[in-house]
Parts: sequence; C-alpha cells; structure tokens
Amino acid sequence: MESSSNSSPDEFELDPVFLNSRREAWVIFGVWFLCMIWAVPVSYMMGYGHEIVPGNVPTVFGMPTWIFWGIVCPWLVADVVTTWLCFRFIKNDDLGVAPEELAEAAGSADQSATGDAAAKGGV
Amino acid sequence: MTHSFILAEGSNAALITFMVYTLAVFGIAALSNRLLKSKSFMSEYFLGSRGLGVWAFALTFAATSSSGGSFTGFPAKIYTHGWVLALWIGSYMVVPICTMGLIGKRLNQVARSSGAITIPDVLRDRFNSARFGLLTVVLIVFFMSFNLVAQFKAGALILKVLLSDVEVFKSFSLSVAEWTSGVGFFGSDSQYLVCLLFFGVAVIAYTTYGGFHAVVWTDVMQGVVMVVGVLILLPLALNAVGGLDRATQEMSKMTPPMRGYGVVQLDDSTSEISQLGKEDWLKMSDEDSTRVFRVAASKTIEAGTETVYGVELLEITTPSEIERILAGETPSEFVDGAKVTRFSDPDSRYGTATITAKAAITMPPYAPLFARPSTKMTPTEYIQIPDNVTLAAGESKSVLIEISGRLEDQVFNDPDGDVKFSDISTKSVKYAHGADTPGVYVSGPGPSATDSVGFLSLSVAISFFFMWAISGSGQPSNMVRLMAFKDSMTLRRAIFTVALYYTCIYVPLVFIFCCARVLVPGMEAEPDRIMPEIAVYLTNGIGAAWLGGLLIAAPFAAVMSTVDSFLLMISSAMVRDIYQRNINPNASEGTIKKLSYLCTLVVGSAAMIVAINPPNFLQDIIVYVGSGLAACFLAPVVFLLYWPRSNVQGCTIGMLAGFTAHFSMYVTGAFVNDSFFRPYRLLDFDPIIVGLVVSFTMTYFATLATPAPPQELVRKYFYRRVES
Repeated sequence: MESSSNSSPDEFELDPVFLNSRREAWVIFGVWFLCMIWAVPVSYMMGYGHEIVPGNVPTVFGMPTWIFWGIVCPWLVADVVTTWLCFRFIKNDDLGVAPEELAEAAGSADQSATGDAAAKGGV
Repeated sequence: MTHSFILAEGSNAALITFMVYTLAVFGIAALSNRLLKSKSFMSEYFLGSRGLGVWAFALTFAATSSSGGSFTGFPAKIYTHGWVLALWIGSYMVVPICTMGLIGKRLNQVARSSGAITIPDVLRDRFNSARFGLLTVVLIVFFMSFNLVAQFKAGALILKVLLSDVEVFKSFSLSVAEWTSGVGFFGSDSQYLVCLLFFGVAVIAYTTYGGFHAVVWTDVMQGVVMVVGVLILLPLALNAVGGLDRATQEMSKMTPPMRGYGVVQLDDSTSEISQLGKEDWLKMSDEDSTRVFRVAASKTIEAGTETVYGVELLEITTPSEIERILAGETPSEFVDGAKVTRFSDPDSRYGTATITAKAAITMPPYAPLFARPSTKMTPTEYIQIPDNVTLAAGESKSVLIEISGRLEDQVFNDPDGDVKFSDISTKSVKYAHGADTPGVYVSGPGPSATDSVGFLSLSVAISFFFMWAISGSGQPSNMVRLMAFKDSMTLRRAIFTVALYYTCIYVPLVFIFCCARVLVPGMEAEPDRIMPEIAVYLTNGIGAAWLGGLLIAAPFAAVMSTVDSFLLMISSAMVRDIYQRNINPNASEGTIKKLSYLCTLVVGSAAMIVAINPPNFLQDIIVYVGSGLAACFLAPVVFLLYWPRSNVQGCTIGMLAGFTAHFSMYVTGAFVNDSFFRPYRLLDFDPIIVGLVVSFTMTYFATLATPAPPQELVRKYFYRRVES
C-alpha cells in the first residue's frame, strides 16, 4: 500500500480507476498549460502594441492574423487533442454501483419474482 | 419599415416565444415528476438517479456553465471592446476537457462508492467527518444565496430588455405601477418587477415540481436553442456585412465613441416630440460637417419646451461610420425637428452629484457660478450643471454635472458658501484607453471607457485562462453534474460533445458580434441589447421575424438553466446535508419528499423577494461568488480525490485559507480602491489566482503537518481487494 498499512499488502491493490483518473488528470492539466502558453504569448506578441493601418489589417480567413494564430488555431488543435483524449486516452473504467442503485435493482428483482409468482398463481 | 417597427415586431415574436417556452418547460417538469414516483426520491430529485446519458449530461453541463452572461454580457463585451474578446474567452478551448475531465471520473466513482448525493455528502463521507460536511454546507449556502439573488435579477433584467417594446407588456407594467404605487418595497421600476415575477414563478415552479431531471431536460432544450440560434445568426451576419474580412477592415477604422451631456433644440415649442428615446438619433450640423449622436438615456420633454437640457448622448466619432449612418445604410432613425446644439467638451468628464443649497438659489443651465476653484480644486478645474436648477434653502438635489480640468478630490465647495457638492460620480467623455486611435478594436488590449491600460492587459488575460478552465472545475454546480453521469463512456462522449458545442457557440459569437459592430452602430448606449437587436435586424432582413423570437430566447434560456441548478443546490444542501444527515437520519421518504418540495419553494421565493430590491454590482457578485467557490473547493476536492495521504485537517485548513485569501483581496480593495467589488490585484493578477495558490499550498502543507488519515478510509477510496 502507498501509505503505511497494517493489513496484508497482498490483499489489496491500488484501485485502477484512481490510477487511471490521476494519470488522465495530469495529462489534461498539461494540455491546459500548453494551450495557455500558446494562446496568451502568441496573441500578446502578434496582437498587442503594433501599428495598425486603418482599412489594411492583415487577416487570415477574415480575422486579424493574431486572432487566427493565437486563438482559432490552438482552439482547433485543442479540439483535436480533446477528441483524441476522449476516444483513445481516457480509460473506460467501471465506476461501481451506488447503494441506492443496488437497492433498486434488488427491489425490481423482488417485484419481478413476485410478478412471476403471481402469474403462476403462487402468491 | 421603420427601425422601431422592426423592434416591436421582433419583441412580439419574443413574447410568443417566451410563452411557448414556458409551456414547454412546465410540460417537462410534469414528465420529470412522473419519474420521481418510480425511483428513490432523494437520489432522483437531487441527482437524477446517476443515470444521465451523453446528450443530457453534455447539454446540462454546457447550459449550466453558459449563464445568461454568454448571451448578453459576452456579446456586449465583443461589441464594446472588439476582437480582443477572442483572447478573453480563449481558454474555452480547454474548458470542457478541464472542467469535466480533471475530476469527473474520479468524483463520480467516489460519490457512487459512498452513496453521496450532494457535494457536501462527498466531502463528509470521504473523511467521515460531519463537521467538514457542515463547513462545506455553510460555504455553499453562503455563496449560492448571493448568487441566486444576482441570477434572479439577471433573469429579470434580460426579460425586461427582451420585452421592452411589447405593447401588452408596457401597458401591464403601467397597471402594476399603479397597484404598487406608495409601497416603497416594490421599488419604482414596475417593468423589472413584472419580469422578476414571471421569471421567478416559472423557474421556482418547474424546479420544485420536477427536480433534477426537470432541470436537466430543460437544460437540454435550452442548450439546443442556444446553439441553433448562434449557427443561424452566423451566416446571416456574415452575409449582411459582406464577409468577415470587410467587418475586420471596417473595425480597424473605428474609434471609440464619446459620451456626455448635450442640449437639444426642437424646431418649435408646439413640437409633438414628448420623449427622446434610446433608439433616437440626432445631428449637429454646421457649414463644414455633420456630427452624429445617439440618445444614451431616455429624456421626457415637457410640453411647450423648445430647448432640452441635460440629454445624455453618445457621439459617433468614426468618419466612415458617420457616412454610412447619414447615407441610411444602418438601422439609424433620425428624429425630425430636433438637433443637437451643444455637447460636452471632449476633455471633460460627465456624471452626477448631490448639491445642497444654504440659501434659496436659481441657476440657468451651464451657469458659470460654479466655475470657481475652491481650496480643494486647482485653478483650472470647474463644475457646470447642464440644466436649470432651483433650490430652496437647505434643499438637496441630485443633478447632472460636467467637470473640466483635473479632479483631485471628491468634495467641492462653492467659495461663497451657497452650495455644497457631494457624492460626485463622473466618467471621462472620451474613452480612458483607445480614444482617437483607429485600430484599437482589432488589437489588444482593446478600448476601455474606464481603464487607462485598456480592456485586457497581459496579466488579466492570464487570469482569465485560470478563471474559466481551472476555477470552472471548482464550481460545486459543475461538480454535482459530474456525480450524475451514467458511466465512463458517457463522460468521454460528453466531453467531446461539449468541446464541439463550445466551439460552435463561442467562436461564432465573436464573429457575429464583430459584424454587429459594423451593422448596428451606437449600441454602446445600451450594449446588453445588442443580442436581441442584431437578431431582429438580421431575421427581418430575410422576412423571418419568428426566427428572431427564437434567437432572442437564447439568453433567457441560458440564465434560466443557471438559476434552476443553483436553486436545487441550495435546497439539497438544506434537506440532505443539514436535515437528513444531522437532524433526522431516520426521516421517512414521505417526509423528505415534502421537505424537499417545501425547501425548494421557500428558498426560491425568498431569493425572488430579495431580488425585488437587489443589491447593485450584479456582475461583480457573480464574479465574486464564482471565484470564491473555486478558491474554497477546488484544492480540497482535488487532494481528497487524488492524494491518499490527504486528511480532513489539511482540507479544512486549505478550504478556509482559500476563502480567507480570496476574501482579503476584496476587503483590501474596499480600502485601497474604495469599493469591495474592485478587489486588490496582487501583482496585477485576479484574486482567484491568489485564492487558488494559497488554498493548494495550505492544503498540502497542513496535510503533511497533521496525522495520516485512518487506514479504513484510505483503503475504501484508493484500494480494492485483489481478485484471486
């Protein structure tokens, strides 16, 4: 066990949902950080403090160049990375069953059994 | 077709849309209520039985996060500050993956394994500490109550803006004004009161009756309305302006408007003009040029008046824009028989003050009487009152003022001792940043009427990257949704869906409202109206007023979906976390059910009643609450989910330290900047960054300095039995 333990270390292992979630969280945090150090500095260097000639602003697809390279481009990349994270990287872990879900499942099983029995004229 | 007729037609469509919308919402609540009868009440009412599928989960998450601000405040900001808003909102590129992915899966698992239904439930069970659970309840109720009142006010204001041109609404509001006259509690704004009652009753009713599923399903409907509205508006706006490139080039020629007081001369005293409204345009012409103004605040004209003083005006300063307005290329309707004859000096400031007369006094407009320096003014400073003033001895009155010269103190005394000024509040006629500077709308930091460093400095841009993506992860209203999705696959698909959803909403919104800057000039007078204004303008252009109504409903949908979530959070905190878990653990389901309905009803009604006379600083309260909740909750939740060594002492200290650090920035602001809602910015960063840094640091070190958590808790939440 990672923290000190009195029980036999063979009985328990670290929960894979916890391990997967933690690994995924670090990667997601890294994606956020990379997006920030792309968007903010690029926007600042290309879009702040430059001389503007009215009516003759350099554009890409109609938007100012700094908006395209500083925001729209990383935004599209972020969408691609998000898609990859969602469908390739994040694990499909079993999140368990809540107590009330167990109770409801048991209740519906009882009802089902009761219904079957009633249908057979047993109750 | 005149501009006002277009607006009226669009507003009638808005009224019909609002009615249809309300009916749909009640239908959804009725369906949801049927579900309550077949499931565990508590889990179903507050958490939707943890069974949300991809679309429901994705759209309720997206719609709740996009409050009314996305469709009123954000468009208004784009219109006012230009392209730099793309950077302001830029972190939304990672908001879905951060707010849902950082803690979503793990929070859902921990909530399932403990049977938690609310966020305080999770925190309490994770450490088996009732005290920690109660602390979180107190913080949630404290912050959310403020926010609920602010959101009720926001909803009512949005509805008021949307319906302001509807005749039925106006006449009904006048009747309400008569009924409530003399009762100070109801205030003087009957339109606001009517909207608050409509909005409040609708939200409280469907939330109380339908619970979580009603909230989620209405969120889905509202989310669909929002994205469809934006995607329809985009091609219409691009087509109307002649392409995005043309919009950008036109914006690059623009300079910010000036705002101040003017004098309007009517052609004769028998003129039928009884009011100068906010849509009205006026000219000031001489032999060489024509200046163009828009009325910034409605002004009633008394019968027999030829000269109207103290009219608040907005002057358009961009030559190419003036040409287009005069050529009739924009929806700008000039008032016949009226012209501006005087406007504030560009280097002066305008505002209001209270004056008190020691002796009876009568002054003509712009009287030079006050053009004298007092001991607290330099010889170059003077005040003028741009209207007639008559005061009896000892009488006080609020007046419009213009100050020219440098302001050093906020108390001015007439040297003769006849009149005293107090409560002086002024703004510059010219923008503090960007005035007379073409190109300011297509570059950073963007124009600002009040801030001399511009709208979005580098440090503020970094703060917003934290604000949206990181602090969004720490919002309890988001967290509770993360406890409600069905399984991991749902989470993965929902993150992808929300990422696409935000891309389809926020990037097009920037494009649309940059186009709107070119298409509809002069909206700085009332920027919050730009969404309905542009929706009506564009859809009438293609002969589809009904579509305008649908688009106008989007901001209303957005604020509704935020309010219902907050309402349910507060009532769940009271019923589940205080009553069931601390007062009566053995309460029957029937008792819990009645109490839940009652609590949602009472909390909602109380918030609505407080919102009749709401505090000012609406947006400031929303920002304070959002960042405060993140400063309190994010660090403890991250540590308790991901660090087996975390303990209740560390999380409690981190939570309180985050609260205190964040709060202290606001208290310091009250002393340094004279307002609680102008917080002190350490190293020019927003208080949220200070709060998060302190909270994470304190949680970590306090945890290490205190005993390790009990083994059984660590084993329960971080380990599983080895399957042989």
